[in-house]
Amino acid sequence: MKRKIMGAALFLVLLMMGVVTVVPFVWMVLSSFKTNAEISALEQTLLPKAFTLENYATLQSNFNFLRYFGNSVFIALVVTALVIYISCICGFVLSKYQFKGKNLIFGFIMMTMMIPWSVTIISRYTMFVDAGLQDSYLSLILPAMVSGFGIFMMKQDIGALPDELLEAARMDGANEFAIFHKIVLPMSKNSISAIAIFQFLWVWEDYLWPYLMIDSEEKQLLAVGLTTFNGRYSTDYGGLFAATTISIIPVLIIYIIFQKRFVAGVAAGAVKG
Amino acid sequence: MFWKRRPLQSKSEVVLRNIVVAFLVLHMGIFLIVPVIMAFAGSFHLWNPLNGTYKWIGLDNYVRMFQYPTFWTAMINTLVFCVVVVAFRVLLGLSLAYAITSKMTTKKTFFRTVFYMPTVTPLVAVAYVWKIMYNPQFGLIDQILGVDINWLYDSAFALPAVMAMTIWKDFGYAVILFMSGLMSVPSDYYEAAHIDGANAWKTFCYITLPLLKPTMIFVVITSVISYLQAYVPVMVMTDGGPGTATFLSSYLVYDQAFVKYNFGYASAIAFFILVLTAILTVISFTVTGEKPEKRRKRA
Repeated sequence: MKRKIMGAALFLVLLMMGVVTVVPFVWMVLSSFKTNAEISALEQTLLPKAFTLENYATLQSNFNFLRYFGNSVFIALVVTALVIYISCICGFVLSKYQFKGKNLIFGFIMMTMMIPWSVTIISRYTMFVDAGLQDSYLSLILPAMVSGFGIFMMKQDIGALPDELLEAARMDGANEFAIFHKIVLPMSKNSISAIAIFQFLWVWEDYLWPYLMIDSEEKQLLAVGLTTFNGRYSTDYGGLFAATTISIIPVLIIYIIFQKRFVAGVAAGAVKG
Repeated sequence: MFWKRRPLQSKSEVVLRNIVVAFLVLHMGIFLIVPVIMAFAGSFHLWNPLNGTYKWIGLDNYVRMFQYPTFWTAMINTLVFCVVVVAFRVLLGLSLAYAITSKMTTKKTFFRTVFYMPTVTPLVAVAYVWKIMYNPQFGLIDQILGVDINWLYDSAFALPAVMAMTIWKDFGYAVILFMSGLMSVPSDYYEAAHIDGANAWKTFCYITLPLLKPTMIFVVITSVISYLQAYVPVMVMTDGGPGTATFLSSYLVYDQAFVKYNFGYASAIAFFILVLTAILTVISFTVTGEKPEKRRKRA
């Protein structure tokens, strides 16, 4: 009996915290279907009184929203794919090969993860401006394609693969590139999905670097686009709600689909490493 | 086993190794080492890219930094921010993880998924939503609490408001980490404690907590390091204001570098943050007497 009450109490507490966690999302989505008059009315209701899709409809005309959205998807996909491939191949070499200087390189990668963005961003900015790479997607892709976190995770993960497996393939005459692509890559699916989701999110929410690098509006990314939107149409809260809803919901859907792998990845990255 | 140490390396192995090493060295050299050196050199210069100034001024930037009141405001704000947010993160993370992993809780996956949701959402968008939530006329927070506070424009409430948003955004990460820490505690430890007649609280204090120390250290260190670098919530929600009430260390670098274009001065502050980060990491490891590598191997 006591156990049952305790269990119910625990469930209630968790449920309350869950509600607090979810409320901002719910409020955002519901508000995105309200008219601006209703959003800023004195009398507030949670559900929209007059359900409207206008906020979404005007996003494109006021704001070229699809362009920003498409740019963000493109950059996030390219960077994520590059980071995954590079992390895997570096993780493979750094975990399964023995050579001089290996630990030095790996130690260095770990050390660089500690360097704050503020230390490198000023001179990187100068470098990219001097190289004439401002306002090009190369400036967004090049520095982002190596991830210390990714290499670290893949080194842990691939390091745990049995050597016998690789050795058997070598005996069969497979070269290292074939071993990497046909054995190591397919066996690292879990860590790859974890890196994929994180990396996608990081690119998706990166703000300062694209803000500094990209000048032309048709190349701008969504995260930065939200700011210009807020400034220019400062009273259009409905539009802002609609825009944030669209920029959050895809990420949430991806998360809910992959949440198992996601959690496995976080736990592996932290506890194992 | 004889193949553990293979003296003979196939040609493709050498090729692949060389490609990877060359690529890593080149990439790190260009995008990390060179910028760090440039920033370090720049911190001793009067450096303004707009009018092309690059003049040696020795330690002036560092001297000026310590005399600049906003620098101290930003540092104190960052300290308060770190202490409060990290404390909440550990407290909420640990207690919720404990509640979820408890035998009495059903729907574990559901709660885990819900609590982690804010962590996976893009910070810029979330910061906008919270900014509107703090609106004094129609924001959700004043409505629910039944108060009339202009959170982001009142210097007493602006920083706590940004902190509350950050706690909401980040506690789920700690929940996941503590959950995996809790689940890795061998169940015979609990059985032994049970046989010895320990109650739940004693078991938690003497068995669970000590075993969670590595997770705790990891959460605290990674949190502090990431908050030393936080700028997005400030940029979106307050622009550092009102006045300098919500200036955080990294926002100050942004402000000096890309608003005022004092590149040299901003570099000096950035190096101060770097040193702080390094010291904090070393202190946390020595205080707990554990090296990260050791912890990794054990876990």
